[in-house]
Amino acid sequence: MQAPDALLQIRGLTKSFAGELALRDADLDIIRGEVHGLVGANGAGKSTLIRCLAGVTLADSGRITINGEELRQGSPQASEQAGLAFIHQELNLVPRFTALQNMLLGAPKAKRFGLIDWKRSSVRARAAADRIGIRFPLETRVSELSVAERWLVMIGKALTREASMIAMDEPTASLSGPESEQLFSIIRDLSSDGVSILYVSHRLEEVLDLCDRITVLRDGRIVDEAKRGSLDKKGLVRAIIGHDIRRPEDRQHFSADRSGTPILSVRDVAWREAVKGVSLDVFPGEVLALGGLVGAGRTELAHLIAGVRQPDAGHFELGGKTFAPAGEAEAVGQGVALVPEERRSQGLMLQQSVAYNINISSLAGLRTIPGLPFLSAGKARRQAERLVKELSIKTPGIARKIATLSGGNQQKALIARWLASGCRLIILDEPSRGVDVGAREEIHDAIRSLARAGVGILVISSDVEELAILADRVIVMREGRVSGELTGPDITEARIIELSYHDAHGPKGESA
Amino acid sequence: MTARSETGTRSAGASRPIDWKRFGLMFLSRYGTIVGLLLMIAIFSAMAPNIFFSRANLLNILSAASLTAIVASGLTYTLVVGEFDLSVGYVTSFIGLIVVGLMSYQGLPIWLSILCALAIGTGLGLINGTLVTKVRINAVISTLGLGTMLTGIGFSYSAFPIAAGIPRAFTSISLGRVLFGIPNPVFFMIGVLVILWVILNKTDIGQKMQAVGGNIEAARLSGIRVDRIKMFAFATAGFCAALTGTLLSSLLGSGTLGAGDGYLLDAFAAVFLGSATLREGEFHILGTLVGVLILAVGFNGLAIVGAPTHFQPIFKGGILILAVGMSTLARRYAASN
Repeated sequence: MQAPDALLQIRGLTKSFAGELALRDADLDIIRGEVHGLVGANGAGKSTLIRCLAGVTLADSGRITINGEELRQGSPQASEQAGLAFIHQELNLVPRFTALQNMLLGAPKAKRFGLIDWKRSSVRARAAADRIGIRFPLETRVSELSVAERWLVMIGKALTREASMIAMDEPTASLSGPESEQLFSIIRDLSSDGVSILYVSHRLEEVLDLCDRITVLRDGRIVDEAKRGSLDKKGLVRAIIGHDIRRPEDRQHFSADRSGTPILSVRDVAWREAVKGVSLDVFPGEVLALGGLVGAGRTELAHLIAGVRQPDAGHFELGGKTFAPAGEAEAVGQGVALVPEERRSQGLMLQQSVAYNINISSLAGLRTIPGLPFLSAGKARRQAERLVKELSIKTPGIARKIATLSGGNQQKALIARWLASGCRLIILDEPSRGVDVGAREEIHDAIRSLARAGVGILVISSDVEELAILADRVIVMREGRVSGELTGPDITEARIIELSYHDAHGPKGESA
Repeated sequence: MTARSETGTRSAGASRPIDWKRFGLMFLSRYGTIVGLLLMIAIFSAMAPNIFFSRANLLNILSAASLTAIVASGLTYTLVVGEFDLSVGYVTSFIGLIVVGLMSYQGLPIWLSILCALAIGTGLGLINGTLVTKVRINAVISTLGLGTMLTGIGFSYSAFPIAAGIPRAFTSISLGRVLFGIPNPVFFMIGVLVILWVILNKTDIGQKMQAVGGNIEAARLSGIRVDRIKMFAFATAGFCAALTGTLLSSLLGSGTLGAGDGYLLDAFAAVFLGSATLREGEFHILGTLVGVLILAVGFNGLAIVGAPTHFQPIFKGGILILAVGMSTLARRYAASN
């Protein structure tokens, strides 16, 4: 069981958030000098595992040992002193500081007469820079560096502290091909020098190519651990989703009429680097799902439709008429609503009651006398009670604080809000994230009752199984573009995953 | 995924021993201010039974409380929407000067002077609102900046207190006792409190204000025009400050620069004390009234039991710190709940 040359050992690591297990009983060994891949779908527990290692999140139970010594968990300082370094996608660098200052940030510095002696302090940093082949002067400000160069600064920072393991989160997400190649060769050099790399990525080809061993996480569990060469991409995808292709007859079919005028038309919409010319239609009563990986541009597209941001190019039509909302209120005014991914921080007024949260977008209809601003307590109560019953929201009463409800019921209350407001198009971003299977089913029922009411529905979900169960039609996005569209029996988890990684007309011979 | 109790925190069984620390926190964050107010009344009554707890003195307290209550309830609105307004004291002073100036210098009739004063106050609130929502200047800076400018503008309008040419009818607004021998400002206070309470709790705009203060992102995505709601709150604060300024000048019988500046701290202390009253850390009108009464009873009682004058600012500053501390504590309790 125990690897002979293990640098880092994780045993029985378990963590739950608000009753949901994000990580359960995870065991993992990282051998000195290996490149270890960590893969899994969104929400599989990769980030939780990394955060526990970094000391940012405190696990509920389990042990972490490094070089045989137990790590004091929950302390970023302890993790750093134990030789663990972490490079997140956002690259925590101070833009105004030079590369050198960033590499030495937080590290003890040599002093002379009580002042920092930069020359002596920077010896190690310069050595690290040489080791990974940094060619730009270390006196350059980070704000003037490219993303690839910033990565080098982060790696140099880790080496300056003599890290024995560096965890990298989606390192190639914003790198070009040649830049990625450069990074890979640095990783290989570090590995042969005895530095371990924990490589987290959605790009399965890279992982298969680069990593000595690969650990697959699913639903918080480690489900597979494979040596290089023992898995191919197809096997890896299967390990990530957990089972073979779901048979089409398991799916419930809906019969949305797509012959009339679409409720929403998106035409060649682009926004910065995230959305690169997307066109699609949503029809009344239809559940259209947007599949794809995190960072494919789906949330950004949703924000553009809901008026949170305005597109750089392209346009929208709502029921055949031009639709260019300048803000969220205007979009809602025309019947377009967004149920955000961050339910608690962006959807709910947590201090308020269930009834308040349901009624807040339909206050005009709850007035005592139309035209006067006074609200009728009776109308408000009846509307909230009706919707609580209709969507079977489990709450001891409508006056209860919404914060005391479970995630699934909070989500249903948000759907009730828009059912009450009579909106025409509703966008749901990750509607069932962080809720259990039973609640997910009920959320799906609520979404269907919206669709039955003739509302057009756009669902964003990274849960492939959810897309396959819920959607009438699936459009998969990849790197800001539509990579393919699936309807009817073609909607399978395997096809969605395939399109998430390749375009429909992608490289030959790569289809799973 | 695992099965879990659908109602979340309801699982606390009856058999569990009472968590006294939690209970204490809850009690303090909800009823602490009210208990404090009652204690103060009891202590002062015991120390000076015939003077403190007399009809005349109680009316005195209410009368003193009423001007603070009007400014403070306007200020409450800005805090409800998650902003604040440091200009209310300066607006009170400025309008107090302007309203008598319009009568004395410009010779306008009383009703028109008051109307103009209230309109200017509301306009100043709208300027604050615009600076905060459209220009996106932090409320601390924009309201403090505007307030400071008002001091200068007021000085250029009249460097000396305006006492001449003020009609008796104007001073009788605050000095008169129309009903049951109760000073008129008390009725103004009751009127303002009732109207602001109704708007906050019984109308669309009140619900939306609470949404904006509760979760601005969620409010935006709910289709609420967040900027307009904030403007309304600032305008209300400006109106209330102007009304207080008008009543203050009527009470003093003159317009004096800086006469209302002190209302800023009083109002803030009252509003924060109020947010630690009955509801956990939420700003609300009834709470603000309790906060104002605590201050008024405190000042009055200290004077009556013969505490030296320098004790007043100590009491005021201490109460402000205590109030914000209790409010923070209450919110923390609410968050942990």
